[in-house]
Amino acid sequence: MSGRKLAALSAGAVLLVLLLTANSPRELGRRAEYLVRSAPLELAARRLGGSGAAFDRSFFVFLETLSRRLPRDVVGVAVFTPRPSPEALHLASYALAPVPVVMAPARVPPRWLCAVYNLPPPQGFRILARLPGGALLARP
Amino acid sequence: MTGFAEALGQVAALLFVVAAVGWGASALLVPPGGRAERIAWGFAVGLTLTGLSVPLAFALRLHPGWLPFLILAALVVLPARILRLRGQTVSEPSAPLDGVSAILGLVLVAGVALYALKALTEPMWANDFVAIWGLKGKTFFAEGRVPERLFLWKALTFTHPEYPLGIPFLYAGIAYLLGRWDDHAMALLFPLIQVATLLALFGWLRRRGATPPLALAAAALLSQFEPLYRGFTTGMADVPLSLALLLFGTSLCDRVDRTDPGASRRLVLASLVCAGTKNEGLFFVAAGLVVAAFSSLFRRGVFARAAALIVLPAALVAAAHRLLRGHLPLSDFDFSLLRRPGELADRVGETLATVVRGTPPLAVIGLAALAALIAAGRGSSAGTRLLALAACGLSAYLFLPALAVAGPAWLVETAFFRTTAALAPLVAAGVAVRLIPLWSR
Repeated sequence: MSGRKLAALSAGAVLLVLLLTANSPRELGRRAEYLVRSAPLELAARRLGGSGAAFDRSFFVFLETLSRRLPRDVVGVAVFTPRPSPEALHLASYALAPVPVVMAPARVPPRWLCAVYNLPPPQGFRILARLPGGALLARP
Repeated sequence: MTGFAEALGQVAALLFVVAAVGWGASALLVPPGGRAERIAWGFAVGLTLTGLSVPLAFALRLHPGWLPFLILAALVVLPARILRLRGQTVSEPSAPLDGVSAILGLVLVAGVALYALKALTEPMWANDFVAIWGLKGKTFFAEGRVPERLFLWKALTFTHPEYPLGIPFLYAGIAYLLGRWDDHAMALLFPLIQVATLLALFGWLRRRGATPPLALAAAALLSQFEPLYRGFTTGMADVPLSLALLLFGTSLCDRVDRTDPGASRRLVLASLVCAGTKNEGLFFVAAGLVVAAFSSLFRRGVFARAAALIVLPAALVAAAHRLLRGHLPLSDFDFSLLRRPGELADRVGETLATVVRGTPPLAVIGLAALAALIAAGRGSSAGTRLLALAACGLSAYLFLPALAVAGPAWLVETAFFRTTAALAPLVAAGVAVRLIPLWSR
């Protein structure tokens, strides 16, 4: 066998070992178990148990309920949380899409609804729906 | 309420139809006989048609879904059957399966199965999926149009309005065919893109004269490349771009080497897909132009035609985006730094230091093994072109963090390793094609 072939085979073997050992059997087992356990659940419940909602699962429950309670003619939703973060904005925008979302604006745009999570309802708004951990509000 | 298994079955069935349509059209692209490559190119064609059917239906005020998709498919497949490549069959000579090939086949199947498990464990969740690709796709699907606010509202700058719309249109297209938005079952797209990438790599290497074990070894190693094929990248643009880059690089080599009459057509499609997938797709098209220029230095007329095939489709995609949303700057980068070389040099230094700090020791061993594989191979013009293209990409990914508005360390930590991983199929093809002479009969 030529030196080049030997070098190529050795380097290929090293790469293969490195790549194969990059997988953690424990993590793969956990994934398989989660997949089997969550497969019969509805889509929103699978997302609730997943990584995307892990930073605040209650917030996702709030958003999912909010998306089901929004009136058909909604123009946009201003979401208020005690800890506004890019993660919360992205998840809220995705969960409520195509309804536009802004996070904690200084002024709620005209005709927009307001959703408060783990905060008291602001003055001057009426409650449209009570949600887990918050409420959906509109101007009177 | 639909359980995951049922939804997955529905998405699998519709993606099978999409691939079958693409298979019909790919007779225009791949010479007869190249089955692995034809499946890969067919899948790419099918996905392109699925994505294209959405803006076309919007423009014609039709409801996107099966009707516009099938009309578009018929408009593409019927002429493709008439203009299909004939003549010399590109054979992938069948060889008896030896022990090495069997083991490599098992490694490859395991790689696909592992990525399928990682991709399908849960609904697509990566931040870039939720904030960018998935959000736009879901908006297009639910609203039945491309709302202007995505490009105009300051509050939506986090969605990166300047990114190409190919992936969001593809997501919307699949959702229209499925009849609902299912971001879990839709994740099946990603392991299938991986399979298409592996088939494209295997088929191209076999056509270029690689023995079955060598072509299988390249595909098997790539299938196990966890930095690209993992749960986190599922839903983002890197896996689709990695396929697009492989198709672009290999078709560029075929066009320059004039291997078959379909090379030019493949190059056109690959350029289109690259530009429509990610912003750096345009950069790779420009890099491909430079590579083609160097490869055709002493062949009069070759470069001009190749340049047109490379540039025009990408320019068409860029023009369509410009028409749809106007001019949008790359918001993550401060190009005025190019006029401040002192500050830029410091930032380049910070970028390199962060890359070195963030590279795990095992990755260094892997890179050394890769360098040994490159050194063990023999000079090959196709290999040089593919590795040059990958080197251009790596250089850009190393330089861009220096221009990042949020600082070099931020871009290196959030994007460098992920985006660089998308070069893996290109590198695998470039390295393996250099090894062909070592195992030629």
